Amino acid sequence: MRGKSLITAVIILTFAALMTYAVISLQVFGEGTGVRPLGEFYLENSYFGDYSAKSPEVITSILWDYRGIDTLFETAVFFLAIIGSLTVFRLTKEQEKEVKKAESTPTELTPIVKDVTKVIVVMILAVSASIALHGHLTPGGGFQGGSALAVAPLLIIAAYSKYTLEGHGLDKTRALILRSIGLLGIALVALVPLLSGGFIMQNQPIFPAEIESQLIGGSLIYYNFFEFLAVGVGFTAVFLLLSIPEEKFKKILGVKK
Amino acid sequence: MSILFYIGALLIVIGALCDFFGALGLLRFPNFYVRLHAATVGIIGGAAVPLFGVALLALGADFLPHRYAIAGASFITGIIVLLASPAGSHALAYAAHRAKLVEWEPKVDHLGEVRKSD
Repeated sequence: MRGKSLITAVIILTFAALMTYAVISLQVFGEGTGVRPLGEFYLENSYFGDYSAKSPEVITSILWDYRGIDTLFETAVFFLAIIGSLTVFRLTKEQEKEVKKAESTPTELTPIVKDVTKVIVVMILAVSASIALHGHLTPGGGFQGGSALAVAPLLIIAAYSKYTLEGHGLDKTRALILRSIGLLGIALVALVPLLSGGFIMQNQPIFPAEIESQLIGGSLIYYNFFEFLAVGVGFTAVFLLLSIPEEKFKKILGVKK
Repeated sequence: MSILFYIGALLIVIGALCDFFGALGLLRFPNFYVRLHAATVGIIGGAAVPLFGVALLALGADFLPHRYAIAGASFITGIIVLLASPAGSHALAYAAHRAKLVEWEPKVDHLGEVRKSD
């Protein structure tokens, strides 16, 4: 036991020493603290320059404008993952009904947890919307906002039950429809500039940079909003599937104990 | 420096102490429930209290840009932590008790005594 910890400590210390040596003497992270030419281009152009995305948030500009196609395909990877998990859990109509039927008394947590959850869920909705819709002004954006949004149904599932969520109208089908609307929105916002002679995923030609002197950063706010919607409800659909009780699945699959 | 600075700094120091004792308790306490108690001391005393301290510090610092925004955000975050953390540890303790996952040897059991005498 002692020898093992000693070996671990030696390995960690050696690694730390090597990294320090590399950073100090080999200058693996470039020279000095200056901004490199590419970074300088983005910093100068994201808000002020000729190739402006009209957003002071450089990262959002890079993500959804300068390297938009890249982000589009990253988003596609995420949605393929969601589709994959939906396929694993696919059920016939009768099985869907069986899964949706509530048990006689679904297990819920205590009133303390439930009441706090009510307050927190409202806060999460507000904060996630703020993260997503301020994505072109402050750090954050569609994906981050959507991930924060997905925590709200997760909390409801934990404190109340999956059946409560479905009883209030957010079931798997609705989540999938909302997610498709989000995807469609992203595709439309990407393709619309083609109509007026622009390029695919171009920011400025038809989307206004400001509405009534409020900076909205051209197409960035639309991308952020639709990504917010799609990611949030995509996660919710998966959470709903994961929270199906194990007994029901065993019954459906015909597993004997 | 104003009085707000001293109160805020004091709250942050209290927070650091609470964090330290919370971590110590988490490592040294004998079973799940008291360890959960130590963890909650670390969250309430070590996160909520310093956040209120930061809010007071920001209010007292005249040179700071956006000091009202910083103070407001810290205060709201403190309130959220104050609200969510006890509910979270309550849910954990409740779940552990319901599932009978934790060996439970009470030294003092007032609830059991009351139940027995009824």
